[in-house]
Amino acid sequence: MMSNLERLVRFGIPFMLVLIFSMTAAAQTDRLRLGMTTGDEGTVGPYTYNSGDPGWNMLLLQYDTLYQLDADGVAQPWLARNLALSDDGLSFTMDLRDDVTWHDGEAFTAEDVAFSIDYFQQFLHPRWTRVVRPIESVEVLGDFQVRMQLSALTPSLELGIFSDVPMVPEHIWSVIGDPAEHTFTIEDNVGNGPYRLVEYAPDQFYRFQAYANYWAGTPQIDELVFIRYADMTGALAAIQANEVDMLVSSIPPEQADFLGMNPDLAVAQGPLFSTQMINFDVTRPPFDMPEVRQAISLAIDREDIVETVYLGQATLGNPGWVHPDSPRFNPDIATTYDPEAAAALLDEVGIVDSDGDGIREFAGAPFMPELLTPSDNALRIRIGDLVGEMLNAVGIGVQVEVVEGSILGDAVWPGFDVRQGRDYELATFGWSPPLQADPTRVASLVHSNPDIASFNLTGYSSPEMDALLDALNATNDSQRQQELLNEIQTLIAEDLPFIMILYPNGVYAYRPAVYDDWLFMTGQGIFHKLSFLPAAARP
Amino acid sequence: MVSPTQAQTQARTIARPAQRRQPRATSRRLRVTATQLTAAVGVTLVTLLILIAVFAPFIAPYDPAERVGRPFSPPSAEHALGTNDIGHDILSELIFGARISLAVGLTAGLITVVIGTTVGLLAGYFPRLGSILMRFTDVVLVLPFLPLLIILAAYLGRSLMNTVLIIGLLIWASTARLIRSQVMVISSQDFVLAARSLGATHRHIIIRHVLPQVMLLSIGEFVQVVGQAILLEASLSFLGLGDPLQKSWGTVLYWAQVRGAFLSPAWAWWVLPPGLLIGLATLGFALIGFTLEQRFNPRLRQR
Repeated sequence: MMSNLERLVRFGIPFMLVLIFSMTAAAQTDRLRLGMTTGDEGTVGPYTYNSGDPGWNMLLLQYDTLYQLDADGVAQPWLARNLALSDDGLSFTMDLRDDVTWHDGEAFTAEDVAFSIDYFQQFLHPRWTRVVRPIESVEVLGDFQVRMQLSALTPSLELGIFSDVPMVPEHIWSVIGDPAEHTFTIEDNVGNGPYRLVEYAPDQFYRFQAYANYWAGTPQIDELVFIRYADMTGALAAIQANEVDMLVSSIPPEQADFLGMNPDLAVAQGPLFSTQMINFDVTRPPFDMPEVRQAISLAIDREDIVETVYLGQATLGNPGWVHPDSPRFNPDIATTYDPEAAAALLDEVGIVDSDGDGIREFAGAPFMPELLTPSDNALRIRIGDLVGEMLNAVGIGVQVEVVEGSILGDAVWPGFDVRQGRDYELATFGWSPPLQADPTRVASLVHSNPDIASFNLTGYSSPEMDALLDALNATNDSQRQQELLNEIQTLIAEDLPFIMILYPNGVYAYRPAVYDDWLFMTGQGIFHKLSFLPAAARP
Repeated sequence: MVSPTQAQTQARTIARPAQRRQPRATSRRLRVTATQLTAAVGVTLVTLLILIAVFAPFIAPYDPAERVGRPFSPPSAEHALGTNDIGHDILSELIFGARISLAVGLTAGLITVVIGTTVGLLAGYFPRLGSILMRFTDVVLVLPFLPLLIILAAYLGRSLMNTVLIIGLLIWASTARLIRSQVMVISSQDFVLAARSLGATHRHIIIRHVLPQVMLLSIGEFVQVVGQAILLEASLSFLGLGDPLQKSWGTVLYWAQVRGAFLSPAWAWWVLPPGLLIGLATLGFALIGFTLEQRFNPRLRQR
């Protein structure tokens, strides 16, 4: 017979423990712990945040923009109510919301909009000064109405400019003056977004508090704590050990299944607009021949790379550059794998294996180009490894070289200035999401004028392409833009200034018992301000 | 430093080992057995390693550079140690990795012993030059080893040749010291003096009289350094400072680390086996080296 005491010990205590644990778990919902694996973000102010992700998204927790991307990556009115273009497309009026307040209680007005745009034009900001350059002047028409004059037709106002540039309060920033002279503290972060930064311990953590009077609705979680980890390995161990509830950066492909086995964790996956590609110097023979570039593209089995290196967690690269999940994608462009056709193309331009050693000859020497891969990026080394294997199979004797990231940078993009040329044959490369998110920025990749194409790393130039890009930059009619973008994608797929391999998926681990209302934004992932807003407040 | 009297004593013991053997016969016999056992274990391990390396293509079930299975497969009948992150057979990688480890070990060992012996000979035979060379050796000896290795590896770029050179160029100092002290003993002996007074050149004396006497010691050093170099190659490759596409034991560990095997159940078949192999190979060479040193280093023999 069990005594009462024994019964209490055997059943009562575990029961009480379970009760206590479930209570603490329930109470935790108003506090979310997020693990960061990237560097410190300073005081996360407009001039102090560092990274595009998560830094920029942490900034936008505190500051709203005039337009806001929705779940499909389309810009929707946010602080602005609407935008009415003039007939010549060179000016427009914009109505603003009248129910928005700054974190200190002051009202957000048209004066703040005019001030913000003027401020970013006056004081160099690495991201926004270039973005707001086309705006010639801002005129305040009323408390909640502005008119803006453009210096030239601009293809993407809502997406390119107004979804990117946050608004700052005039009454704070007119006192701050020149940001280069000012020492920023978290007290300077007076925004109008759903959260405000209340505590910052450099290299350790950030604590954000919900702004109760947020115009779009009270955020779902009261407190966000961002905890910094030195690397992904540490952060993965932390989420397994219940030290954090979510990791803000995408986790490596091999971790998705493994973390998924943990019953307390969930994994969200979706398309991300970052890219993995092969660049070549198209001014250097034989890569100046479109047939050679086509042959290389045809010889690469992208599906194999996606399955092998990314374990299926990526989208096949489309030769037309634009991600198939982008609203601007041209669905007529297919990704083809055909090694026989690749070999035939090489035969056609006279790059043949005349001595029977399995490697083709070009200009009298074995065609053995060097493929550079960066030593600090394991997945890119593996992509290079497999691409080398596939090109070897069609007789291109690719030599895969693993070099320091800085050496690769010097070869592919010396001084981050395409005017300085390039010195490489083949290289693995990739761009971060913003370039894909706004397809009208494609001119910066493939225009022959280096002032426009600051990212044209392959030296591509084509008068036909330039004409299409100039036409694209001279219209803000969405229909016409789409026609031109379709043609541009077709031409990129024909000319292949670079070879798209794949678009990695965003894969995010989180603890659903603590918070489960994440919103996967196409191309951007789940860490952004909309994820914390009530469903009704999301655009 | 070896004083002349000490040196003479040592010279005498070399000349008359039988005298010393008698009084402590039992302990001597026990020690011989222990030494023999050590040697046997070392020789077995190294022989196995050499056999694996030589017959790798016959032993290995697959070509290590061929993608033969699904990535991240656990051990199965087809893949005894599973597959790596892109589907290479890990067992085959390890078998072929023995070749790289041995090649690196032997080449780096050779470089080390050639430099170490040369410096030791010159420094021991010419005292003035010796004091300069030894200060330089001291510098090499006190350099913070791993950080320097990392900087050199990053600066020179990634290739097997560079890894070998870096290791070889950094670990010769202790060999040089050992050889030098032995050379100093030998060159103060009567027969060297005699040769010199007969008009023999330094070159002749070094090559004909001194070198043969330190040769065995060099060989002992060589064997120890091979083990050390295998371990260093693995460390460099593991840290990502080697060529990650070269199939050595260190790079197998590197890929296990960057693809998360240390945190997942895969550590048992992806991390442990290369770790054990590196450990056993190093141990094998160390044991043989230890035995040889016992035999050839008169200072150790005397004790």
